[in-house]
Amino acid sequence: MELLLLPFLEASVRTATPLAFAALGELVTERAGVINLGLEGAIIAGCLGALVGAGVGGPGFGFLGGAAAGTAMAALFALFVITLRTDQIIAGAAITMLGLGLTGTLYRTLYGASGASLSSPTVAPVPLPLLSEIPVVGPALFAQTAPTYALYLLLPLLAWWMHRTHAGLALRATGESADAAVAAGISTTRVRWAAILFGGAMGGLSGATLVLAQVGTFNEGMSAGRGFIAIAIVVLGRWSAWGTAAASLVFGGAFALQYLFQSAGWDVPYPLFLGFPYVLTLSLLALMRGRSAAPEGLAKS
Amino acid sequence: MALLTPGPISDQAWNSSAYQGLLRIRDSIGAEVSHIQTRTPAEFDENFRQYGAKGFSLVIGHGFEFQDAAQRVGPEYPQTVFATTGGSGVGPNIVPMSFAFDEPSYLAGIAAATVSKTGVLGTIGGTELPPVRASFHAFAEGARSVNPGITVLGAYIGNWEDAGAGKEQALAQIARRADVIFQNADAAGLGVFQAVRESKGVWVIGANADQNGLAPAVTLGSVVIDLPHAFLLLAREVHEGRFEPRVHRFDTASDVVRWTPNPALSVIPAATAARIDSLRARIAAGEFRVPEPATP
Repeated sequence: MELLLLPFLEASVRTATPLAFAALGELVTERAGVINLGLEGAIIAGCLGALVGAGVGGPGFGFLGGAAAGTAMAALFALFVITLRTDQIIAGAAITMLGLGLTGTLYRTLYGASGASLSSPTVAPVPLPLLSEIPVVGPALFAQTAPTYALYLLLPLLAWWMHRTHAGLALRATGESADAAVAAGISTTRVRWAAILFGGAMGGLSGATLVLAQVGTFNEGMSAGRGFIAIAIVVLGRWSAWGTAAASLVFGGAFALQYLFQSAGWDVPYPLFLGFPYVLTLSLLALMRGRSAAPEGLAKS
Repeated sequence: MALLTPGPISDQAWNSSAYQGLLRIRDSIGAEVSHIQTRTPAEFDENFRQYGAKGFSLVIGHGFEFQDAAQRVGPEYPQTVFATTGGSGVGPNIVPMSFAFDEPSYLAGIAAATVSKTGVLGTIGGTELPPVRASFHAFAEGARSVNPGITVLGAYIGNWEDAGAGKEQALAQIARRADVIFQNADAAGLGVFQAVRESKGVWVIGANADQNGLAPAVTLGSVVIDLPHAFLLLAREVHEGRFEPRVHRFDTASDVVRWTPNPALSVIPAATAARIDSLRARIAAGEFRVPEPATP
């Protein structure tokens, strides 16, 4: 069993990384009072943007391309929701469908019917000296790829920014009570635009991580529902940065456990394993009922 | 002639080789062709109807999962032949194509068991469709015919798109010492190839299309369905007015399904290759039947 603990922990962190990028982005968007169901569309756009960017200028360019593509999808969403005042849920769902369809069409146009194969440059795991030598958790946490390390830096920064800076306060005020925020002289329009664009960029980085740090190629629909899982993660993380990161890890762990269970060769129908992460979410959400921490103004305007 | 695929035609596997088949029909017969990627089973009927109403002479639903829709829509458009790759229900204008994919899978199992050093093999599928299940069963039986004590791990990703999950599933099997993984997961299977490429001493076997070129250094071979060939045979029948409703079976004898070892590698011992060749001839001659899984 001990032999399997390390692969399990490594897989948990790996699986959690793209989820955490998307969820932390969505967290900021939701703290501004906007729920962006178009996150899935930003992730798949990020996947394609990363492939194209990496093809042009290597993995670094790929991450830029992914973030830019995710931001573009989010800008479209913001245009509809803030400027044109359409319903957030409907606009978000439409952006997701647009993203899934558009990336497929663009991919075929750019790479032909045979696709890009496994030709994309990727980033390899970089074990950090000393830290990665800690028994068990060392290699799991500190023998990962660059995007995971970027999250380690971003997380405390984001938590600090949201609670200890004027801009963070403006963000939270906009999400809790837009009217009060306006009365306090905050431009809620500008705050929401910025929060949505940040969420899109993070969604794009999530997709870029999938392509450049994991799979090494693009395929249509490869986001495979991660955007929706990330939205659930924000709820599970009770709209806090640390909570969202922890919930991402719980999900990563649930998926990793699912992979491990299936490879254990037990005679159990496989759909039970596949359903495990979702059953876990529902159970955790049920346990936390009645103690809502959602921003007051979420999806209200 | 039209084609409905359940997934993207850029998967370099099940769907892309069907699309190649459609293009071959276009080039060989000069037929007007059309392709739609269906998103959900609810669209199957609608897409079939659309082509029926436009008067297409042959519509191929690419997968076992299209058979019910073909049964429902077929009678409404008697001038159109509805074919599905998989399934069993025959109608006056409904033809299920059946591929004996389990036959070459058995041969792949022999190759895998010979090459494996750990005595652990893996299979990874998209979802548990009956042809996939039969193929994995035959693979395991083929492996056991070489090494009765061999372990064959099995896993399904739950869809055919999530390449990230495909990779993690492969890494989990590799952590359990699997050193040959037979994948049949279309686009999600690309993740399996990537996992094998990044691991040492592990081989992968491709499915449906010839995937030997995807990761030539680590691909043992591919279990191939020559869909273009099969589609062309069927399209010619329809085109020349020779069509007869029946289950159209494509097997080793018709050379539509075959085990294609990776020509860039020489890890399969010559004795094993010879054994596979002679068994292939016996299967084609009907002297050897590949074991089928018990019905669930």
